[in-house]
Amino acid sequence: MIAPVANSINYQLASKLLDASVMRHEAIATNIANAETPGFRRIDVASDFTRALRSQFAGNRPPSPSDIAALNPHLAEDTHVRSVRPDGNSVEIETELMAMSRNRVDHEFLTEIVSRHIKQLKMTITGRVT
Amino acid sequence: MDLLTGISATSGALNSQRTRLDIIAQNIANARTTRSPDGGPYQRRVVNFESELIRSNSSAFGAKDPGLATVRVAGVTIDPTPGPTFNDPGHPDADAQGMVTLPNVNLAFEMVDLITASRAYEANLNVAKNSRQMAMRTLEIGK
Repeated sequence: MIAPVANSINYQLASKLLDASVMRHEAIATNIANAETPGFRRIDVASDFTRALRSQFAGNRPPSPSDIAALNPHLAEDTHVRSVRPDGNSVEIETELMAMSRNRVDHEFLTEIVSRHIKQLKMTITGRVT
Repeated sequence: MDLLTGISATSGALNSQRTRLDIIAQNIANARTTRSPDGGPYQRRVVNFESELIRSNSSAFGAKDPGLATVRVAGVTIDPTPGPTFNDPGHPDADAQGMVTLPNVNLAFEMVDLITASRAYEANLNVAKNSRQMAMRTLEIGK
């Protein structure tokens, strides 16, 4: 009976994206920490995660829970960014700070979605709004 | 379990930047020191950083995953460039020709370095604050 909530596409997708958001925060923390390490290349959540996610929604059919479970965010070196500094470091601190605040809003939004799903279930069980 | 994400990378960076600030303070303090424990004028110290791998996911995703890296002080080296000299025969550290060698500390360089270091420190502090807020949000799920 609880399964429909846990199996709902939105809930599953939100938890998957929440994983990715936490992972991105780790990557940004690493990038800012190494902003002055010579030769350091910035890391980010691998772009094939975004690509896989986009292809899930490309068709007319919504993705199944098993499709979402197959998505696996992981970190990878950002190969798209060019280094403009003489020490070969590709981190730009302003870009990282912007990415961090953006990621935080994403994280807040996703926790809200997950929270709402759980609250809804709680309401169904207890019959009370709070 | 790592509730405060990325905090290990940030703390390493905070430590390193703090060391750098200490070394800059030492350089500025000794900008006119003509007598040091190892003889001769004070020589400017330079901090170098290196990255240190915290966690590698390479087993799960192949060698492409770079893993998380913090930063640490690789070492404090002495800048060997000779300092400026000036003529002052009455100076206690003057050589036979009456020339005194000053430390090779350039105050302008040190000030610029000081600003860079404190900005880097602030940026890392911002990350730490963000990590905390994200963790608090995560703990509020379902409340």
